[in-house]
Amino acid sequence: MLAAVPATPPTNQAQGTGRFLASWTGRLGLLAIAWGLAMTGVSVLSADRRNQPPDNRPVQALDKGYVSSDTCRSCHPGNYASWHASFHRTMTQVASPASIAAPMDGLELTYDGADYRVERRGRSHVVTRKPQGAPASAYGAPREIVLLTGSHTLQIYWQETGEGRTLEQFPFAYLVAEKKWAPVQQTFLLPPDAGQFYAPGEWNGACMDCHVTQGRSRFVAGSRFDSQVSEFGISCEACHGEGREHIARNRNPLRRFALHLGGGPDPTIVNPARLAGPQSALVCGQCHSIWAFNGMADKIEWNQRGGKFRPGDKEPGLRWVVQPGGADHPQQREMLRQSNPHFLGDRFWGDGMVRVTGRELNGTTASPCYRGGQFSCLSCHEMHPAATDGPALAAWKTSDQLAPGRESDQACLQCHERLKAGIPAHTHHAAGSAGSSCYNCHMPHTTYGLLRAIRSHQVSSPTVRESAEHGRPNACNLCHLDQPLAWTADKLAGWYGQKAPELSADDRELSAGALWLVKGDAAQRALVVWSMGWAPAQQAAGRDWLYPYLVFALDDPYAAVRFMAGKSLQTLPGFADLAYDYTADDARRKEAMAAAYQKWRRELRPPGATFRAQTILDPAGQFRPEVFARLLRQRNNRRVFLAE
Amino acid sequence: MNTADRHLRFGWWALFVSLTLGVVLETLHGFKLGWYLDAGQEMRRLMLTLAHAHGTLLALVNIAAGLTLRAVKGFELTRGASGALLGGAVLLPAGFLLGGLVINGGDPGLGILLAPVGALLLLYGVGRAAWDLAKVK
Repeated sequence: MLAAVPATPPTNQAQGTGRFLASWTGRLGLLAIAWGLAMTGVSVLSADRRNQPPDNRPVQALDKGYVSSDTCRSCHPGNYASWHASFHRTMTQVASPASIAAPMDGLELTYDGADYRVERRGRSHVVTRKPQGAPASAYGAPREIVLLTGSHTLQIYWQETGEGRTLEQFPFAYLVAEKKWAPVQQTFLLPPDAGQFYAPGEWNGACMDCHVTQGRSRFVAGSRFDSQVSEFGISCEACHGEGREHIARNRNPLRRFALHLGGGPDPTIVNPARLAGPQSALVCGQCHSIWAFNGMADKIEWNQRGGKFRPGDKEPGLRWVVQPGGADHPQQREMLRQSNPHFLGDRFWGDGMVRVTGRELNGTTASPCYRGGQFSCLSCHEMHPAATDGPALAAWKTSDQLAPGRESDQACLQCHERLKAGIPAHTHHAAGSAGSSCYNCHMPHTTYGLLRAIRSHQVSSPTVRESAEHGRPNACNLCHLDQPLAWTADKLAGWYGQKAPELSADDRELSAGALWLVKGDAAQRALVVWSMGWAPAQQAAGRDWLYPYLVFALDDPYAAVRFMAGKSLQTLPGFADLAYDYTADDARRKEAMAAAYQKWRRELRPPGATFRAQTILDPAGQFRPEVFARLLRQRNNRRVFLAE
Repeated sequence: MNTADRHLRFGWWALFVSLTLGVVLETLHGFKLGWYLDAGQEMRRLMLTLAHAHGTLLALVNIAAGLTLRAVKGFELTRGASGALLGGAVLLPAGFLLGGLVINGGDPGLGILLAPVGALLLLYGVGRAAWDLAKVK
């Protein structure tokens, strides 16, 4: 048998293999295989390095039960598309060339005694800083810009601190529409001497409470945080609850089809549209409200392990929604009063109406509509429109994410059906006019935020009392800016039987808009300056007399008021191309103000125009000096800090 | 009509129908119809694309079966295998088509239930044909 074993074939095979390997084809083949193996190794190693979480910023780490929006996408592509198009997604983003709205490479800015320079390095942008005017060699260590907040109005940038995942603000924000850089504190309604708006670590300690999904700031020690989020931005699970169980249960197609055919709710996930009004509103209100922690222990719990609220809950979890005047949470109220005596005043008007944006739950729950138990944010807004093509989504997100038809009176008429037949009789304004719009009277622009006036979300009826006693501009005079409060009181008494309050001589004789702008506090001035650029107000009150007031406001001590004065002035004929830098120093602002005034006086003031005395202008259009000076002396110069 | 002719005729008509569906889908693309192209219609787009692709491919399979029957002497398809090839070529694309007409978010409509039946028929028909072909001397 052994002898029968052929000895030659293996040798031949070996010779054959050897010959092949010795040939050029074989050598090239070997080289190709070696090259392929080397490249695979490099790919594996670089992928491994890329997958290492960065250590200089908060990172995504799914909390228990969370799965992230990427997982929701495969089964809910339409809902994913509308969320992806929304500003909720872009509330917080990891900084990258794609997410940064501003041209930053080579940017050089100076503010408050320091020069800042931004350079792009690969996919990152880094900031270096030196004392103003020092040589270039004085630039300090580069700090990477790692996260950003916002995408369409303002973009605020966060940079590493060298303290773990603790962040600090880049001192400038980018005004997206205006394509302009401004110091962060000049993008909020703050006293001019307020200083840096966000302290180092404030993003971790406060912002991430609401600007991410299920964030845990995870304080370590000193100023060091090891922050984690389930997802940057506000994603699916913020409003629908954790998705892990939902996904596990719905891997079964029979279950899914039973739900599709039955049309009933899926108990493994929360659909805010199916919740009762209060619970549905709280889903949005978990962030869109003025809230405070129940106590220090709850704050620590939140910061270490994340929020306890889940959509569908009746309470905000570890926190309480602060409404002035309530009797609830007496201990917490007292604590708030002691820790921050201005807490309520910085957020609410004197009559308890919320005055800062982003806190709509406070207004919604104070509305009479809310008492019916069905009213919620989704009565007017929708988060997932049916049409998911690009133009439809773009239109939806820029129209305040309103549901179809809700941008009109239909929003109110869906419940107030009996008014349908006689709207002009109810409003005493022509049908279809701005004065006949439900929104303009019942949700006027008395809330401030994002450098503009925003509609109040407390549905209410206008009164003169709210203006005379609490300083809150009423809906009538936000349009009829030129009329005195007494005029409004007469109308409301005649039309609706409202009892006129006691009014001062000025309130009886002088334009409410002019009074708010000259002697009001910064918050009143902000609202009235914005309203002066609002087309319905210009139509109702006339435009000619607005010029001197808006020019005057170009030099307001509050940057936000100046910004809106410039924007409103641009809406007036002749000033569309006004070049005005609201962040410029005093001298340049005064120069701009003088130039704008001269332009109006010489070029734009209609020849022969006369101005009514109630507007505090003389017939030629100049401020009546004694009255104006007296009112200016009476200006309410309290420090206004609107905590949006 | 013999088996080969049946598969050839079916195959060519099925190819015509499937290519027509392809033209319809191209038209939907051409006019950018949201019903087909919107982000929320991903499942519909997948189902209709699958219906078009499977319909075309299975039409060609039936044409190949008819040509094989003519070309290979001694090769015959059993009635069951022939019926399975024809049935599968109808049910599988029809399942995708009907499943795509009505969708539920990321799930197709109930018409998709035809697809697995068609897939099983095809498996049987192709397997049986391969087996019978292997036995031909």
